[in-house]
Amino acid sequence: MRGSTETPAWLIVTQREIVARVMNKAYLFGLLVTILLIAGIAGFFAWQGQQVDSYDVAVTAGDEPAASAVERAAATLRESGADDELTAHEVPDAAAARAALEDESVDAWLSSGGQDGWTLSSWREPDQGLASLLTPVVEQVTVTEHAAALGTSFDRLAAGGDLVTERLDGDDVDPGVLQFASFALAFLFFMGSIGSGQMIASSVVEEKQSRLVEIIASAVPLRHVLAGKVLGNSVIALAQNVVLASVGLIGLALTDFKAAVPAMTASLGWFVVFFAVGFVAIASLYAMAGSLASRTEDLQGTTAPMAVLLMAVYLTTFGADGTLERVLSFVPVTSIVSMPVRVLSGDAGWWEPVVALVLLAAFALAVVLVSEKAYRRALLQTSGRVGWRQALRA
Amino acid sequence: MSTAQQAGDLEVRSLVRVFGTGDGAVRAVDDVSFRAPSGLLTGFVGGNGAGKTSTMRMMMGVLAPTSGETLFDGRPITAADRRAFGYMPEERGLYPKQAVLDQLVYLGRLRGIPARAARAEILGHLERLGLADRAKDPVEKLSLGNQQRVQIIAALMGSPRALILDEPFSGLDPAAIDGMADLLREHTARGVPVVFSSHQLDLVERLCERLLILRHGRVVADGTPAELATRGTVRHRLVLSGDAGWVRGVPGVRTLDIDGSAALIELSDDAGGRLLRSALERGDVHEFSPVRPSLTEIYREVAA
Repeated sequence: MRGSTETPAWLIVTQREIVARVMNKAYLFGLLVTILLIAGIAGFFAWQGQQVDSYDVAVTAGDEPAASAVERAAATLRESGADDELTAHEVPDAAAARAALEDESVDAWLSSGGQDGWTLSSWREPDQGLASLLTPVVEQVTVTEHAAALGTSFDRLAAGGDLVTERLDGDDVDPGVLQFASFALAFLFFMGSIGSGQMIASSVVEEKQSRLVEIIASAVPLRHVLAGKVLGNSVIALAQNVVLASVGLIGLALTDFKAAVPAMTASLGWFVVFFAVGFVAIASLYAMAGSLASRTEDLQGTTAPMAVLLMAVYLTTFGADGTLERVLSFVPVTSIVSMPVRVLSGDAGWWEPVVALVLLAAFALAVVLVSEKAYRRALLQTSGRVGWRQALRA
Repeated sequence: MSTAQQAGDLEVRSLVRVFGTGDGAVRAVDDVSFRAPSGLLTGFVGGNGAGKTSTMRMMMGVLAPTSGETLFDGRPITAADRRAFGYMPEERGLYPKQAVLDQLVYLGRLRGIPARAARAEILGHLERLGLADRAKDPVEKLSLGNQQRVQIIAALMGSPRALILDEPFSGLDPAAIDGMADLLREHTARGVPVVFSSHQLDLVERLCERLLILRHGRVVADGTPAELATRGTVRHRLVLSGDAGWVRGVPGVRTLDIDGSAALIELSDDAGGRLLRSALERGDVHEFSPVRPSLTEIYREVAA
């Protein structure tokens, strides 16, 4: 009956880990909350992108420069194709302007020729968007006035002063998108590895605490059990990241950043590959952390170094740029986040992710070998918590 | 499973396990040797810290011995042998959130039993133990006694070639103990060795064909209950028609207690005949019989 067609033990363990996880209501609930969170953030940005700002600006009667400045700003807005609107409202005098501000029938009052030049008044904090819209126009109106006084014109003064921007590498990724991408990848990495890592650790200590591990260890080599746990949870973590990334991409497509979707997809593709390899190392370390505890209560202590490590990766990678980012993109574990971001920004050569991936795979292999030994040693030791150093020795 | 079950004796030779190092080192198992013959129920008795659990864990290969070895069927035991053993560890536990049937099938598959066969066998066991309707319940919903039944099924499925059970009777009510004993006897009847530990002496005496008493990591007694009883100091009871006071003076007789015409004595090798002849010269002898010590008395004697 114990023939060669028997399912290998590691595969049986893998299946159990996946099924147990998918049936776990707490896990599913957490995942659902995360999906809703991502969808909510995307939805918020999409909504904000469609918001139309309309400004009502009061101008006192006879303040020609102010009326003309508002007129020009409105024209500039129309030319730029933005949906925002700017409307001038003429009021008889300063007192009427104040009254209009107070009863909120206008957002601001623009007046020229004051003691300090021009003034943009609001009842409360002046709107920065409006201020930055009006600043160049006011400047232009003033210069035009002075130019006329000097016998020349604004256009002659400003001739040849237009600045055109261009980018030579052919990529056109918005730096804002890059920043968002590094944040999103660091987040996916952190969520996936800490969530699935904790699951592995607690499933290991569950078996140790109940002595189930003794029944299992007398039936199959513990190496198979570890392999099954790492594989099963890696599959879950990866699937979770694919789901979250897809939700994120769909969300992105609905926002003003939709142009970034193809580049983001490629970057996420790399991320998934890097994560798949790197998570094997993280999962093995978490299994080892679980084996060091003797009761579920000890878990927090034995997994603390892992939490610190992952937090450090999260914090360093999403803020990194320049040389630091270049270095991090090759260092195992941080490369999971940093290399895909560099691929997205277009400053990584084709060979760079490949080299980083090889380094990561070598690191993962080394970690698996070390933690497998520690896992086996610590797992059958039933008295008390085992230290990391103690488990790694010999 | 296959009908030709290979029956083999389990044997332990000079097993030693030292925990800790230096001054704090404890010899939990100190040169333990014994044989658990196939087809017999072998019981481990001993107080806390006597080394029962450590010995069983070493036999199952989940604790590395400091020295010594375990043999099965006359040769050093292998992982493949152990895979076909049924084992019940000291502390009870299963996956609390997983359904009874699912986790038994899982444990069965790990031992190489195909899922379908495991399922059929487990359902049979559950039926027999009155748990058929609980097959789909998560283990945490079961009472402790029922969880223990699920554990025993985990050990018994797949016609194991040996059973090593740590305290299988603890926490069971008398009816459940009898049911469990019947189950174990079915397995010895198949010709496999069954080793179990217990601190309930009367139970071990009643059930076991072989008995091992451990104390401070050493085997202090080993044999059938009858052998152990004779190995203990055998006493005799003598009841005469008249006063038994004169027995004190007979050479080779150690008097333990005299109460009127009755005496409890220990005899040296040839003193029995001499004593009986003198007694018959003085009158009738109503009773002259050996007094077998109970296991509890033997246990006190060897494990004190």
